[in-house]
Amino acid sequence: MNTKNITVYDPAMCCSTGVCGPEVDPDLARFSADLEWLAAQGVAVRRFNLAQEPGAFVGDADAQAALEHRGASALPLIKADDVVVSSGVYPSRVQLATWAGVASAASGCCADEAAPVAKQPRCC
Amino acid sequence: MSTDTLLRLTQPTPFLFFTGKGGVGKTSAASATALGLARAGKRVLIVSTDPASNLDAVLATELLATPTPITGEPNLFGLNIDPEAAARAYRERVIGPVRDVLPASAVASIEEQLSGACTVEVAAFDEFTGLMSGDATAREFDHIVFDTAPTGHTLRLLQLPAAWTSFLETNERGASCLGPLSGLKNSQERYARSLAALSDASETTLVLVTRAERSALSEAERTRVELEKLGVTNQFLLINGVFHASDRDDALALRLEALGQAALAAMPRGLAALPSFEVPLKPHNLVGLDALASFFDQAPFHGLSEPRVASADVLENVAPLSSLVDEVAAAGHGLVMFMGKGGVGKTTMAAAVAVELASRGLPVHLTTTDPAAHLEGTLAEEVPHLRVSRIDPLAETEAYRERILARSRATLDDDALALLEEDLRSPCTEEVAVFHAFSRAVFSSKREIVVMDTAPTGHTLLLLDAAGSYHRETLRQAGAGSRLGTPLMRLQDAAETRVVIVTLAETTPVQEAAHLQEDLRRAAIEPYGWVINRSLAATGTTDPLLRARAAAELPEIRAVKAKHAERVFLVPWSADEPTGVAALRSLVQPDHPHVPQESSCSNTP
Repeated sequence: MNTKNITVYDPAMCCSTGVCGPEVDPDLARFSADLEWLAAQGVAVRRFNLAQEPGAFVGDADAQAALEHRGASALPLIKADDVVVSSGVYPSRVQLATWAGVASAASGCCADEAAPVAKQPRCC
Repeated sequence: MSTDTLLRLTQPTPFLFFTGKGGVGKTSAASATALGLARAGKRVLIVSTDPASNLDAVLATELLATPTPITGEPNLFGLNIDPEAAARAYRERVIGPVRDVLPASAVASIEEQLSGACTVEVAAFDEFTGLMSGDATAREFDHIVFDTAPTGHTLRLLQLPAAWTSFLETNERGASCLGPLSGLKNSQERYARSLAALSDASETTLVLVTRAERSALSEAERTRVELEKLGVTNQFLLINGVFHASDRDDALALRLEALGQAALAAMPRGLAALPSFEVPLKPHNLVGLDALASFFDQAPFHGLSEPRVASADVLENVAPLSSLVDEVAAAGHGLVMFMGKGGVGKTTMAAAVAVELASRGLPVHLTTTDPAAHLEGTLAEEVPHLRVSRIDPLAETEAYRERILARSRATLDDDALALLEEDLRSPCTEEVAVFHAFSRAVFSSKREIVVMDTAPTGHTLLLLDAAGSYHRETLRQAGAGSRLGTPLMRLQDAAETRVVIVTLAETTPVQEAAHLQEDLRRAAIEPYGWVINRSLAATGTTDPLLRARAAAELPEIRAVKAKHAERVFLVPWSADEPTGVAALRSLVQPDHPHVPQESSCSNTP
């Protein structure tokens, strides 16, 4: 199978599930689990948090340009190999699977429809 | 040498920790020990990890975040770990390299993420393990003396190396929620070395500082057990401020002496088994190197030739606590918060005001966020109309975790739940959970009277900081013109909230209270007034040593009235530890003598 690398540029947040904010958004935990699932399918997944690794944003022309033009609302920015496939929302597992070039899960755990999710840029 | 008492008992180890309930004299004991070692020819570094440190005043030197030479003492250096400054430095390390490259809005969002309580805690912890694991700074010294923060904070600080080590070990997915700590994972070795040093008796000595008071002793016992569990077994007990009455006709002095002896006789067995030594009560404040050098002196006090005690002006325009109670009772609801350093009597003041309000038939909710709360002990009796609750960090964290997981079970699969559960084990969670509990109590003051005994200063400020971030976040989500109230907004509303600062009429507590007031004002909270607690000047004592201490109170009381507070409440030193309802109410409505007896003390021209 010829899969693509998925790279996620997250907004500034304490942690990938957002548990440190005043409220926990279950969709962030869902998205994190989806990325883990993707990795388990053999996809190379990388994830950068603006608050922890801002250098990665500077080092990527697309992430840099997105921040330049749309500010933090461009995040999360998701790339499949060198192509920006999504910006400003957390996509569903099906979408992630499609972009990466793997068959989506048969385990029936996840929503099929795209589920744009409000960002959770908070920390303790 | 004045530290003989201590040094004879212990071969001084490279690391010496002084811990104990706030106000017992940790800073004095730690500084006096450091001074003694330095004058014996050792190179010594004294470190304060207390966010509201008063080490500067005690050593008469402005301490920096790097070893600062103490004036006149070539072998003694001091260092102040200011958690806020450490957090700023940490932020700069993350943001500095990208500040000019990323757009301003992105930089601002990073800054906001890294300005919370977690970052502060973590950055301070990082400095601490640096010294414990033998970094370049540490290797320059024979001894490092830690004047640690009040006990609740101390416990967390000392437990952190253990907590983090196991957290890092068990976090299989690469520690997704280390958040601000993410960059520190590479230093795991450093945490392991700190932990090893803490539990090695040849490296670390723990000095439990206490007073001859029941609550201070039980706090010391709690700490002893906690730290023993962590492997810190090389422990000593220092009983500070032991008082022996020299005027056998002064009932107050005799009672004070008897109380102290009774408390010592009833000392928990585990504490009594530790090697211990007593330091007598001093007639003066221990500020400055000369005073410090006398800390371990055992010589009895012979009295001042002509002690000047209360002059009438000092006690003018001071109110009893009942005037505060009258105002709150008239409103029928609202929030009364007692703030101040550990050991000044916030818990007692909160309990006294709550009991008095309840006894007037008003429904009152008395609550505490103090991690080392002894409120339940203070108020064992049941009082009608009074509800007592405690914000227990552990219980709150557990309840918060459960709430989040329960809500998420419907929407998440097993993998996502496992991930969430793992993140909820992060140390951030406790801060958030406690903050939620705090907010709930603040909001319930719309309907009832809520009296809060907040935690020691550092922790209080962290809570307020969390409230501040929450405030900004809520306003941003709600958009401009929102009428949503936030906890901080309620704290800022003088009609709803009365913040009362509690202090003692001693140099260091007054300075600390003034710092606290500045911090509150930065958050746009104007304190309602100050309570000067346990004032000897407000009693009629004739004991020479107590009179000398009463005389030393006067300039402090004057300064509070002139510089710091519009409303000053003076609570006389009470012979009995106020634990029952009657004793608590008598603090609010004192019917015992209040004005010093002119016959014995009048010296004013």
